[in-house]
Amino acid sequence: MAQVPGDAAIESTKTRWDKNRVLDLGLRNLMVLVVIFVAIYFSIVNPMFATVPNMRTILIAAAPFALIALGQTLVILTGGIDLSVGSVVALSAMTSAVIMVGHPERIWMAAGVGILVGLAAGLVSGTVVSHLNVPPFVATLGMLSIASGLAYAIGNGAPINGLPMQWDQIAETHVFGLQLPVVIMIAGFLILGVVMARTSWGMRVYAVGGNRTAAEVAGVNVRRILTSVYAISGALAGLSGVILSSRVISAAPYFGKGYELGAIAAVVIGGGSLSGGRGTVWGTLLGLLLIQTLNNGLDIMVVPAYWQSVISGLLIVSAVAVDLVATKRSNR
Amino acid sequence: MVDAPALAVSGVQKSYGGVLVLGPTTFEVAAGHVTALAGENGAGKSTVLKIISGQVHPEAGEVRVFGEQLLHSDPQSARRLGVAIVPQELAPYPELTVYENIFVGREIRNRAHMLDRGEMAKQARKMLEVFELDVDPRQKMGRLSTALVQIVEIAKATTWGARVLLFDEPTSAIADHEVGRLYSVIRRLREQGVAMVYTTHRMAEIQEVADNVIVLRDGKLVLEADIANANEATVVRAMVGHDMDALFPEQAMSTGPVRLEVRDLQVERNGPTVSFDVKQGEILGIGGLVGGGRTEIVEGVYGIRPSWGGTITVDGEPVRRHHPSSAIRFGLSFVPEDRKGAGLVLLRSVLDNGALPHLSSFTRAGWINRQKCRSEVGRAMKAVKLSSRGLGQLVGTLSGGNQQKVVLGRWLTRDARVLLLDEPTRGVDVGARGEIYSVIRDLAVSGLAVVVVSSDMPELIGLSHRVLVVREDKIVGELDRAALDAADAQEQIFRLASGQEIEVLKPQMS
Repeated sequence: MAQVPGDAAIESTKTRWDKNRVLDLGLRNLMVLVVIFVAIYFSIVNPMFATVPNMRTILIAAAPFALIALGQTLVILTGGIDLSVGSVVALSAMTSAVIMVGHPERIWMAAGVGILVGLAAGLVSGTVVSHLNVPPFVATLGMLSIASGLAYAIGNGAPINGLPMQWDQIAETHVFGLQLPVVIMIAGFLILGVVMARTSWGMRVYAVGGNRTAAEVAGVNVRRILTSVYAISGALAGLSGVILSSRVISAAPYFGKGYELGAIAAVVIGGGSLSGGRGTVWGTLLGLLLIQTLNNGLDIMVVPAYWQSVISGLLIVSAVAVDLVATKRSNR
Repeated sequence: MVDAPALAVSGVQKSYGGVLVLGPTTFEVAAGHVTALAGENGAGKSTVLKIISGQVHPEAGEVRVFGEQLLHSDPQSARRLGVAIVPQELAPYPELTVYENIFVGREIRNRAHMLDRGEMAKQARKMLEVFELDVDPRQKMGRLSTALVQIVEIAKATTWGARVLLFDEPTSAIADHEVGRLYSVIRRLREQGVAMVYTTHRMAEIQEVADNVIVLRDGKLVLEADIANANEATVVRAMVGHDMDALFPEQAMSTGPVRLEVRDLQVERNGPTVSFDVKQGEILGIGGLVGGGRTEIVEGVYGIRPSWGGTITVDGEPVRRHHPSSAIRFGLSFVPEDRKGAGLVLLRSVLDNGALPHLSSFTRAGWINRQKCRSEVGRAMKAVKLSSRGLGQLVGTLSGGNQQKVVLGRWLTRDARVLLLDEPTRGVDVGARGEIYSVIRDLAVSGLAVVVVSSDMPELIGLSHRVLVVREDKIVGELDRAALDAADAQEQIFRLASGQEIEVLKPQMS
């Protein structure tokens, strides 16, 4: 007899816990649900949305931006930030364009130099951050200005138009029925996703971002890790510039303007923490998908760009707020 | 109501997520009395303090301060009744001055409604003088030692009109030689009629400051006694639930050849140098005052702190200075003083933290062999008797003792040769402390050379084969086992550490 109330009590806590668990799971994976919901919504209100050509449009439009968000994810995981990526895109695009004008047949060299320019910019920022201990915000703000200035200098302040037509090969080559930039984007996420989870480098990036001193005590070469994430971010920005320029067969010094903030937004929406140590490549992918789907869907619905901006602002703040609530719940 | 006790806690109870963390607990503290609240980590001490200070709402029971009931569980109501808490982790504004810290939130203004800085500084000086604290109120808070910051906080609380003062492990963050000042502040407050509750798990403190002691174990009040009737054994037995006669395991006396050799290590530019050896199987204690250079020496040996000269060899092989990664390759391992700040990545799992120091031994061409990693880290954590929900648990959610076991255990995934420990049991409860001691002892027996830096005298004396005393970055004395077994060992170490020995000797020599 005495056991009956006891059992009932256990039963009731069990169901309550299950309800909590469902809610937790929902909150934790809220972004997945939101992306699905947004996609369904757009498919219903506009038949143009859920079509193969439109999906391709979303993907190809996402590619240059996705590469930057990938690099930004790594930098943010170490507790840093890379503000320079937008203007590195412009610098790399302008550099490649200048080479293409001079040597129209050397497409791959032009592309390679564009990437190397980005890598160099990243290496400089990374070295300044890791060896001189300049705060990442300041170091990359400086690089933003320097790269932007150089991009304008290359074209004497003007865009470079009329590139040889074969420059579009980079954006228009098809692999497995997909455009090369889309393939690069997918490969980039797959590779970095696995690298972050399975390599010692990945584990060390998380350790440095989570607690730099503890990482040092555990023998992690913190400087090397820091330099490497900025270098990767720079190289990916370089690649992004090459792709962008190839898609429009021109280059302009204002390419990539504001990309850094969009990339930061993608990381943050995907659960990344600006204080470092928290976030995943997959989260960023989700954030990116959400931003791109939203932009595309609103474009189709002919919502003016300024309202789109308002909507994405609301999205960023609410994503982080919900994430904080979810974290607090699970810590309780 | 005239005779209402300063603080009356009756039947308070609290559970989190269905788990009872504090059973119905009742006790009283009279004005001018100090009650030590003892218990291991997780026994419910902090919960009691949080309920009294209004940070946590009890499920049942009530708190009365001088007969008045604490109705709303919020810190403001508690403060209005005269309850103040000196938290374990002080949170001053380091960039503001001492007087600004004291007056923030109730600034004194002049007629023009502008800050009256002169008046605030003057009043602050008066407040500090009460506690015989000769600190310029205009200097920045960040330049004060933790102990002084603590006293400033106490001064601030009492001038708010606190009649019940709660201390949460007040000595955990301050140096030994500053503890005395805290005690005298507490005595002064007692004379003023302030009722105090003081949580700790150090025996010496209880004897020193408390009028009576309350022991909590697993959320239950298991002992309430006058200090006269509570000796160390009684209190410890109440805290852990069984006798703790073997806190320090038997000492293995057989030591092997020299394993770690430190020669002329200079940790401060143009400073003195230190040289010492540690044999296989030997536990070398390093004692001295905080700030005397103990930490600097082990950090210098490990390479996390730059050193200016000297050589370090392990089994005759020279180790590159200021390169922890090189030190690790030579089998050096280091457990830092600040577990959370320098030891662990709190956001990561036991597995990740456990794998980090010897990560390259689990990888091939940079790729982690997860199975190997799991089994090796699992084995190491079992060796240090870690109790966790599994290797996937975030270390931030472990208790202090278990966190310390992770910081220690992670070095055992590969054969370590030298183990450097800085305050290995700070903030660790008595039960886990005994386990950590036996792990250290076992490691020494297995042939490691162990160096232990500690402020805890019984630990230093109970654990070490030999103790070096450090003052002003110099080794000023050495006590062998015979000297450590002598009754005046603690006194000897303290004399050497504080430099009194020399002052005593000087007149004799002249």
